[in-house]
Amino acid sequence: MKPARFSYEAPTTVAGALAALAARGDEAKIIAGGQSLAPMLNMRLAQPGHLIDINGLAELEAIRVEANHLVIGALTRHAELTRHGLVKECAPMLAHAASTIGHYAIRQRGTIGGSLAHADPAAQLPMVALALDASMEIACAEGRRLVPAAEFFVSIFTTALQPDELLTAVHIPLPVSHKDRREGWGFRLFARRAGDFALVLVACRLVETGGRIACPRLAIGGIGPTPVRAEDAVTPGTGDSKWIACAAGGVAAAAGIEENERISGEFRRELLAACTKDALGDAMERLR
Amino acid sequence: MSEVQTVPVTLRVNGEEKRILVEPRKLLSDTLREDCHLTGTHVGCEHGVCGACTVLVDGRPMRSCLLYAVQMAGRAITTIEGVSSDGQLTPVQQALHEAHGLQCGFCTPGIVLTMEAWLAENPAPSEAEIRDALSGNLCRCTGYHNIVVAIAEAAARLRQAKAGE
Amino acid sequence: MSKPAIGQSLPRKEDHRFLTGQGRYLDDIVVPGALHAHFVRSPHAHARILAIHTEAAARAPGVVRVVTGRDLAQWTTSLRMAPPIQGLHPVEMTTLPIDKVRFIGDPVACIVATDRYLAEDAAELIAVEYEELAAVTDMTRALAPGVALVDELLASNLISHQTFSAGDPARRFAEAPVVVEAEFHQHRQTHAPIETRGCCAQWDEGRRHLTMHVGNQVPHPYRTQLARRLRLSESQVTVVSPDIGGGFGQKIALYREELTVAALSRALKRPVRWREDRNENLLASCHAREDSVRTRAAVDTEGRILALELKIIEDFGAYCFYPANYVARVVALIVSGPYRISNYASDVKSVLTNKCGYGPMRAPMGMVSWVMEGTIEAIARRLGRDAIEVRRINMLSRSELPYRMATGEVLEDITVRETFETALEAFDIARFRERQRADRERGIHRGLGICNVVESTTYGSAFFKAAGIPGSGYEAAWVKVEPSGAVNASTGLMASGQGYETTFAQVVADALGVAPEDVRLTIGNTDTAPYGMGSRGARGGTAGGGALMLAGQALREKVLSIAAALLGLNSSGELRLARGQVERRLGGEWTGTGLSLADIAQVAYLDPLRLPSGMEPGLEAHKAYDPPPMTYSNSTHLCEAVVHTATGRITLERYLVVEDCGTVYNPMIVAGQQHGAIAMGISGVLLEEIVYDGSGQNRSGSFADYMLATAVEIPSIEIISQHTPNRRNPTGSKGMSEGGVMGAIGSVMSAVNDALSPFGVVADRQPLAPDYIRSLLRGKA
Repeated sequence: MKPARFSYEAPTTVAGALAALAARGDEAKIIAGGQSLAPMLNMRLAQPGHLIDINGLAELEAIRVEANHLVIGALTRHAELTRHGLVKECAPMLAHAASTIGHYAIRQRGTIGGSLAHADPAAQLPMVALALDASMEIACAEGRRLVPAAEFFVSIFTTALQPDELLTAVHIPLPVSHKDRREGWGFRLFARRAGDFALVLVACRLVETGGRIACPRLAIGGIGPTPVRAEDAVTPGTGDSKWIACAAGGVAAAAGIEENERISGEFRRELLAACTKDALGDAMERLR
Repeated sequence: MSEVQTVPVTLRVNGEEKRILVEPRKLLSDTLREDCHLTGTHVGCEHGVCGACTVLVDGRPMRSCLLYAVQMAGRAITTIEGVSSDGQLTPVQQALHEAHGLQCGFCTPGIVLTMEAWLAENPAPSEAEIRDALSGNLCRCTGYHNIVVAIAEAAARLRQAKAGE
Repeated sequence: MSKPAIGQSLPRKEDHRFLTGQGRYLDDIVVPGALHAHFVRSPHAHARILAIHTEAAARAPGVVRVVTGRDLAQWTTSLRMAPPIQGLHPVEMTTLPIDKVRFIGDPVACIVATDRYLAEDAAELIAVEYEELAAVTDMTRALAPGVALVDELLASNLISHQTFSAGDPARRFAEAPVVVEAEFHQHRQTHAPIETRGCCAQWDEGRRHLTMHVGNQVPHPYRTQLARRLRLSESQVTVVSPDIGGGFGQKIALYREELTVAALSRALKRPVRWREDRNENLLASCHAREDSVRTRAAVDTEGRILALELKIIEDFGAYCFYPANYVARVVALIVSGPYRISNYASDVKSVLTNKCGYGPMRAPMGMVSWVMEGTIEAIARRLGRDAIEVRRINMLSRSELPYRMATGEVLEDITVRETFETALEAFDIARFRERQRADRERGIHRGLGICNVVESTTYGSAFFKAAGIPGSGYEAAWVKVEPSGAVNASTGLMASGQGYETTFAQVVADALGVAPEDVRLTIGNTDTAPYGMGSRGARGGTAGGGALMLAGQALREKVLSIAAALLGLNSSGELRLARGQVERRLGGEWTGTGLSLADIAQVAYLDPLRLPSGMEPGLEAHKAYDPPPMTYSNSTHLCEAVVHTATGRITLERYLVVEDCGTVYNPMIVAGQQHGAIAMGISGVLLEEIVYDGSGQNRSGSFADYMLATAVEIPSIEIISQHTPNRRNPTGSKGMSEGGVMGAIGSVMSAVNDALSPFGVVADRQPLAPDYIRSLLRGKA
């Protein structure tokens, strides 16, 4: 399975990458980690005439804190997300989710920017971006803009990125600690085997104030063309196992699940209930 | 359809420089095998699932079927032929041999390279962690049992060697 | 003297090259000037070929030639598959399709170019005009009246139908207190070795000789076929098999692609090579296991089986590279397994469909133990009895051996009761049941699966004769001592991971009297290896080992006769060869004589006038060994599984097998075979599935779709060995490398059903995908 012919360039600056994109228009495709794109190229499912390799854009590898946000460069590898001190501390859900992507070798090369730009409905990071209220930093010739996750993921394999734009970083609001609040997070997915794409994914954040549990964010992936938010289906409560079961049932019942010839909607809904229940349970255990 | 266009690339493989002319689309796996004459890197699927083609790039394991040779200028690539520096089997290789952790041998180089890197980062793994790390390499012959035994043994020997330093 | 080599877990000689990346697989062989072949394949499940336009492709960069079925029809004969089996219809296949394509992936043209990349580019320029036909994708509907015919020379899609009856099953069913019915549906799978198919054909125009490099399990039969199809004399063809990256039965037949590549080399007078990619391997190489079975058992109130009826329908796909009843008949033949059943009837059907053709996949009869054990479990459920007790009532005991099955198969030297009881005890069933009870109250559904396996192996010539089909089951070997004393040996088998270079060195070492490290096994080259039937049906150890043992022993006799002559002795009765040294027994003690094997060899080759009168120079022995019609081994598999009822996920928490494999040459290697077979069975039951949709499109074209189990899904495997030798062959071995598949299929199915028993549901089909489990439980859990 050999790819169709393509020409190739490897710019060394973001400006260079943007210029390349502008010059080659529709026939160009950006390659970052390549863990999703290369299989498609090799199988000739994608046949771009020109490949723009952005792995040399060192400025996209940085991870820093800025203006109350964790700013992660788009070229950050999944493996780095799993072990970087700032990510583990400020966005532990992201660190954990990254560790479930594919396998060890895939994680050495795959990037957060690539995963978000690819926008596979069954992928971990788009859903986590939604659950963490992340904003995507996009560069174009005119400058940079920030697009919130809820607007970034438009449809299956489709984002708000224009053909001449480059995703440069992900901005994640830092957690706010408060002496009267405890927070916890959960992340669960259901896949057939270790490292497979998930059939259903759930990420949630819980907040406890004065003994009452509320769910400010719950995101679901794998049931439709983009990840969706579903915290509205969770009413605040005690956080005990009965509450968890009820909340999970509510989320599953309310979710709009796309029928798929390979997996029935009914089955997906059952998986969703189970993943939600487990994710809420994890979040309760992590409250601190 | 235009003529075949090749570009010059200088690869650094197992410590040696190799100058080649390849089309941008040529897979690193094919390049290593054909242009560098290193056939220890095996091709099992060409879509990144089986792991047989795994090599180290700057010490990190990657599927060479998902890399194009043109992308690798300036990177240090290690293949199975370069994993042992002194002609002796590494602890991972030796443990696989003693535990009968290979049968047809086709998936073996990918496993060796993945584990060399992974054990360096995870020196005291549990069985569950070993199995999880191994899950990116498919084997059709061994049922994985002996490979897991071998990796645990290799980890123990590496820890011992380090303790003795 | 040191202990025998046979029975020692010697580490493998072949490991060094594999561990260091110095193995020599097909694609590692450099052939200067070789062209690359690439096949254009049908995107339709069933269609007439109206025209194939190759001109644009022929002009593409790097392309040397483009050929289609009509070209191949000139260069090769077609394949006629017409064994004289009652109920089996003869079929004929051209080398490449000419009139129509029969499954998605059917090759219709071949491009030969300077490299594979360019060949794939050119393939996009081939235009084939097809007239689509209705596709037959379901084996039951394939037999409906008026449905499209896969092979238009046949009256229907029923390619094979045999029935059998022994005893008086009809009367037993009429009289029986209880009749229990059960169903078993196994899904389509494929071998998926990590190394796909490939070959390199080198036609030497000067010598008019073809050298075919191909990783193939049966080099000699392959060579015979290849020569015949190319209309060459067999002495014009050499098959050389390099290291093989897994076979499992997929690398036995002469495939159409390989024949095409060989014909092209001859036509172009250049070497031509081919590598199948993974997509082709999954779509278009060889499929297996798609069978539906129904059993009916007439039983008494205690569960004693009075009669058994078995009906099997097999989806054989579109082409017959093997006789269509080849696989299914074995299931019908050995289904009674370890149980006492004298009244038996079977009905075996094979059906053609528009899918990739069928072939044997490690344990082709793999579902048979599941079927028998599942029937017993159905009996137990109906009668409200413990399935372990129902097994005990029906199981053969030692005193009943040798036992002739209703089908005529003879079980001898098996220890089914022993492995069964050992397994139950080792697992501690009582404690398991306590844990199961406690866990059920907490909503955790744990199950114990049991599967007894009686594995048919080796298949001697008498087996084929009794079955009325052409086929030979002998194996051949030679052992040579070279002038320096070095020992070389060969047999007609070909390794694909079994460790022959090590195990057979151990056999020859003991047979001859040398150290195993001094024996070199060379196999896979039809010019040097003796003509044998090759590696399949778990025959290597018994048939190959037997032949090597006989050859080694014959050579030892010659060596010792020479030694006796050199020592001035009347006979060699008090001499032995131990680790290459001639020793003599004097006064009950063995002592060295100062003569080494090298000394003997020197005389035999370079000083032959000193040999005993009438003895030929040289040190070489050739033997052929035809094993008994069948050699059986047995094992009991226990599997503990947890079914997560909310999602349908199954996790395996414990796996135990108690095995009797006869004499074991190398226990570590035998354990490796057991692990691998069990893993393949588990992977098939839980994950693998070739999926064809209603229009015949194959949805399983990548490893993302066709899922193989990883190290996470396969549990650790505990093995308890209780080996007893087979009395009927030179080494006492029994063959064992497929039983693990049989036991895993049966024990995992059984475990899941045990876990689900509180819900009153029975899983009777595979794969046990989570959505299938949920569909059983919906409304109940």
